[in-house]
Amino acid sequence: MTVSKAFWKIALKNIGTIITYTVILIMFGTMNISSGSTTTSYEAKKPSIVIFNHDEKVGVTKNFIEYLEKNAKIKDGYEDDDRLKDALFYDDVMLVIEIPENFHQDIALGKNPEIKTRSSAGYAAELAKVVVNRYLTVAQAYAAINLSEEDLASKIDGALETSTKVDVNSEVDTSKYSKPTRYFSFANYTILACVITIICLIMSSFNRLEIRKRNLVSRIELKKMNLILLRNCCIYALAAWVFYVLLGFIVLGFDTIWNLHGLLYAANALVFTACATTIAYLISRIVFNSGAINGIMNVVALGSSFLCGAFVPAEYLPESVLAIAHIMPSYYYIDANNKIMEMQNTSFETVWPILLNMIIVFCFCVLFVIVANIISKKKQKIA
Amino acid sequence: MKEMKNVIEVKHLTKSYKSNKAVDDLSFEVKEGEILGLLGPNGSGKTTTMNCILALLKFDDGKIKIFGEEMSPDAYETKAKIGVVFQEVAVFDELTVYGNIDYFCGLYIEDKATRAQYVEDALKLVGLEDNKSQYPKQLSGGLLRRLNIACGIAHKPKLIFLDEPTVAVDPQSRNNILEGIKKLRDDGATIVYTTHYMEEVEILCDRVIILDHGKIIASGTNDELKALAKIEEKVTIEVADLTPNQLSGFEKIKNVSEVEYDSGVLKVVYNKGKNNLSDMIEYLKTNKIAYNKIFAERPTLNDVFLELTGKELRD
Repeated sequence: MTVSKAFWKIALKNIGTIITYTVILIMFGTMNISSGSTTTSYEAKKPSIVIFNHDEKVGVTKNFIEYLEKNAKIKDGYEDDDRLKDALFYDDVMLVIEIPENFHQDIALGKNPEIKTRSSAGYAAELAKVVVNRYLTVAQAYAAINLSEEDLASKIDGALETSTKVDVNSEVDTSKYSKPTRYFSFANYTILACVITIICLIMSSFNRLEIRKRNLVSRIELKKMNLILLRNCCIYALAAWVFYVLLGFIVLGFDTIWNLHGLLYAANALVFTACATTIAYLISRIVFNSGAINGIMNVVALGSSFLCGAFVPAEYLPESVLAIAHIMPSYYYIDANNKIMEMQNTSFETVWPILLNMIIVFCFCVLFVIVANIISKKKQKIA
Repeated sequence: MKEMKNVIEVKHLTKSYKSNKAVDDLSFEVKEGEILGLLGPNGSGKTTTMNCILALLKFDDGKIKIFGEEMSPDAYETKAKIGVVFQEVAVFDELTVYGNIDYFCGLYIEDKATRAQYVEDALKLVGLEDNKSQYPKQLSGGLLRRLNIACGIAHKPKLIFLDEPTVAVDPQSRNNILEGIKKLRDDGATIVYTTHYMEEVEILCDRVIILDHGKIIASGTNDELKALAKIEEKVTIEVADLTPNQLSGFEKIKNVSEVEYDSGVLKVVYNKGKNNLSDMIEYLKTNKIAYNKIFAERPTLNDVFLELTGKELRD
């Protein structure tokens, strides 16, 4: 009881640090999930075209102009060449086309009439050229089979109207989980920072040589005291996890993560929080200086967050960096979050890779505890 | 007279750090209710001996019994009766004065009401009643030392180890600490007090063990130890000018073994005899030697140490 009371009193003395990291999570976590929203729908953008028609508006020429009106934004009032140049420079107009005289006849005869064009420098000009070339290519293909101008126009229309229907064979809209994924992946930093800093600061107080000597000469068994401290560390870490998951519900919305995906995110974060606790336990066995704790925490939390894709998605990281990241539990935690996002349905095949990552993180926990105990035993041999 | 029980029995204790013997075949006992002083210069093995007794250090050879039980790291029943005040201040910076004493007392006393009373008693003993809501960083060095003591003795142990508790402490706090220790002894505690301040040992301790290079070089009561000194009395006289003839005259006085004159201060050492001071005053009058101050002092433990080892305690 006395030890627990002292533990929580020391934790309360560090409340400023806890609040700081919580604010960091809320601020950056919220910014992170709102800044990188995924585009889920696309709207076709029509290029602006100016047409100078030197032919009669009949037959194929009429059909061509109607096609351009449908697939591009036709702009008028650019008879003044200087004005037209300005419009091209400022991307108000992407393409200027000049339909030559006898265009409709030449097309029908299978000739290749030259269409003069001027374009702006942007990608939209290329799009406009594609629109124009598409018509001309189809028109020339049908002209080769000697059709009347009327039939030719009709055939061209038919060919150009043909479109491909694409069905997306996906049962789950994965983009729905991009925000929770970013939130929980960013928590890699906050969980590590909050858990390591506070646990190490508290443990460094108990591990100070003078205090340790006093505890060692007391009637409390060393093993019992270590268990009390470990239990309180776990309670603190659990409280941190509960807080971040609840914060997730608030920030992301209850509906977004109140489902199997949300449960998996929370479970993954719980395993990772346990791992963060063991990392803190290990560090507290090595470092007793409270001044050094902040430095080590920054190296561990920031380093693993950058290397494992908590801040920058893993697909943008070089392979060499990702290879290094494999030796860190954060990599498997963040990878599991990505796998949860991509999970299409609930089956052993889809859930197993996620569970496997959690098992790997848990193995890291065991490894850290073993190393911490070896160090602890070596340090106990004061004499 | 009733024979006092041994609270601590140390037999042939030996502890080495590589080739350096920190404690060399040490044997002694501490009787119930006494204050035993472990006196010695820095590095003489006092703290190492204490850490071995408390099972904080493994030792190479020997046996240690406390309250008749062999001491070991898991002798928790024995540990329950022990209080320790380490040389370094061992308190939590994050807890208040009251919180610190309550924590360390709580390691021994589970009952809340008893503990609260004990904490108040400890605060009173060291004179920190007005500072109980302060944090250690807000205390002066002397008050911090008092807090250190309160944390070690709050649970009212039967055996108390105090390792140089007055190092770097102001005179007021030192007096307060020494008075507190006497009070603990009066309340029935047995105390082992390590220090290199001979004055403290002379004021406090019933028995003294003088250590040097991990060995006991002398032990006994203050008087027994002082009896080991060859000198009987030292007379110090402030005298402005002395001719070589006058100086050699002092050496011829009866029982004088040594004369030293430096910067207007004359030190005359008698190796035996009574009424040495009055004889000296008489001599000064007869020879018309003017003087400002004159006083006599008995040999100190430092003199004993000097005679036994050829060096000062604080060297």
